[in-house]
Amino acid sequence: MENLGNLMHGFGIVLTAYHLSLMVVGVLFGILVGVLPGLGAPNGVTLLIPLTFSMEPVSAIILLASMYWGALFGGSTTSILFNIPGEPSSVATTFDGHPMAKQGRAAEALAYAFLSAAFGALFGVILITLLSGVAAKFAHQFSSPEYFAVYLLAFASFVGLGGASPFKTVVSAGIGFALAAIGMDTISGSLRLTWDIPELIKGVSFLVAVIGLFGVGELMATMEEKLEFRGIPARVSPRDVLAVIATMPRYWAVLLRSSLVGCWMGITPGGPTAASFMSYGLARRFSRRSANFGKGEPEGVIAPETADHAAGTCAMLPMLALGIPGSATAAVMMGGLMIWGLQPGPLLFVEHKTFVWGLIASMYVANVVAVILVLFTVPLFAAILRIPFAIIGPLIVVVSLVGAYTVSNSTFDLWLVLMFGVIGYIFKKLDYPIAPMVLAMIVGDKAEDAFRQSMIMSGGSLSTFWSNYLVGTLMTLALCLLAWPLISAVTGRFNINTPVKIANE
Amino acid sequence: MSALDHGSPPAVQRLDDEPDERVVVSRKAMEIVTALLAMAFGAMIMIGAMEHNRGWGDRGPEPGYFPFWIGLIVIAGSVGVIAQAVFKRSNGEVFLNRGQLKRLAAFSLPMVAFVALSTQVGFYAATMAYLLFVMIVQGGYRIATALAVSVGTTLTFFLLFEIWLRVPLLKGPFEAFVGIH
Repeated sequence: MENLGNLMHGFGIVLTAYHLSLMVVGVLFGILVGVLPGLGAPNGVTLLIPLTFSMEPVSAIILLASMYWGALFGGSTTSILFNIPGEPSSVATTFDGHPMAKQGRAAEALAYAFLSAAFGALFGVILITLLSGVAAKFAHQFSSPEYFAVYLLAFASFVGLGGASPFKTVVSAGIGFALAAIGMDTISGSLRLTWDIPELIKGVSFLVAVIGLFGVGELMATMEEKLEFRGIPARVSPRDVLAVIATMPRYWAVLLRSSLVGCWMGITPGGPTAASFMSYGLARRFSRRSANFGKGEPEGVIAPETADHAAGTCAMLPMLALGIPGSATAAVMMGGLMIWGLQPGPLLFVEHKTFVWGLIASMYVANVVAVILVLFTVPLFAAILRIPFAIIGPLIVVVSLVGAYTVSNSTFDLWLVLMFGVIGYIFKKLDYPIAPMVLAMIVGDKAEDAFRQSMIMSGGSLSTFWSNYLVGTLMTLALCLLAWPLISAVTGRFNINTPVKIANE
Repeated sequence: MSALDHGSPPAVQRLDDEPDERVVVSRKAMEIVTALLAMAFGAMIMIGAMEHNRGWGDRGPEPGYFPFWIGLIVIAGSVGVIAQAVFKRSNGEVFLNRGQLKRLAAFSLPMVAFVALSTQVGFYAATMAYLLFVMIVQGGYRIATALAVSVGTTLTFFLLFEIWLRVPLLKGPFEAFVGIH
């Protein structure tokens, strides 16, 4: 078992005082970000990235990943106690989590949520551990055509599986690619699409875009509704946790099914939000107590939470191995990777073992850290939401804009944040998926380079994309996914795969 | 976005007591306006790309090639969105009503002012002014509470960024006056 040896090496890196304290900081910041509506995981990661410029990549990714786990947990806390999902992916948790809390079973609901989330995450990490060896095997078969095919596949699966209108997905991704093209052309060195605005020469940073799209945009959408936080006080005692642990085996079928759904949706870019909805829907259909769903059924908490975390965890694998992030947060992390000078792809598993296995090992440890921290800090973070939104909202604005400024010390970026905020707000309300746009901004230059280099290698012939089994399979798969909405529209089953309107996590 | 700012900016007041649900923009109109804007963006990209060679040179596709096609794809996608919006039976869905517009403006206008102020007088002074304004005028807090929160926040930012993380933030005359640079 070569993987096991690598994993042990990873644990050796992770179990140091420095990395453990990074995890605690990351998880706590993540819970905070997850608890606050309008400040989500993609945003949290974005705000931290400028602070990681001087860190070792492995330390930086541990910090960011821990923040992500924390955010996932924080999102479920507010879903249950306040009926307000802190993260889009915890919307489904409100369906049964909040009714449970209203019946005075808040501690039980929280314990179910956290423990099943931990189960899902663990399932995901084990899967990643097992599959990582496979990724490394492909390392030396990857060159430009393969990379381009993989990028195309990523966008094709947004179109084919994303759940939003395929046209809107195309527009969103296209705008992202166009924004990525602004500035210096990496092959010829000429300046493109700058319209003589000097600030555009360095291009438009995806970090600034994410802060606007997910932060300011989300806040605008939140602020426009009248917000009332009517929280239910809760404290989780060790006895509650033990009682819940004792009943967990009873739910093995839900746990297993939801983990599988989550892993599948995480590896294909369906994302955690879609995963949690799908898992909730399946649980309701197959449960013996399906009549009880929506009224405070533990299975209705377990199913979305397990899938949400399994998907969040699994989203890391295609991000590392192929450069296709399975969620918006993973997309931002991948952008971080590129900033630190690492190129996602199978070669990463060969050339940067310390980084990859440090991250994987940290996922085991950080999830344990996160469960413990979140169980003990629930009352504290729930108290934060009792601060009126009139104060919290503007504070989030200040944090977001300061964060955007630290990206490259440019005041122009502040205006860009506002512009992206408006775009994010409109996109959110009109159900345009935002993740494809962010991903396009991150991989835009790479995808274009890969395409142009493939063309240089083949002398301008597109047949290079079918020149071997690997690239041929990837391209064919991508084209099938692109055509999928068309096929299903023709066969009249268009809505079968789209139970989720809010799939633009 | 032109569709958002017609209607006079509402007087800032305690968030409204009775819901005002008169329609400002319908969903259908917004779908079409957004798609038209996306189309215009696509056209802008195509025009920008035409400043460069967009054919195939001896080094493969030239700089204009990729953006040109991307612009075209954005336009094509927008046409699809418009078609969907036009042919979909309208169920009277609302994009924005009066009450929402008021709340949106009450949040967004101070935010825009905050950015404008930051670029002129630096982050620290702007943060203090912004929080004071929002808390006193919109939140109805007592001046003492608002002062405590805004000064406390500003100080926290200063300690966090300038001292601990050593990341200098935007500064202006106020910061120079207090002797921070």
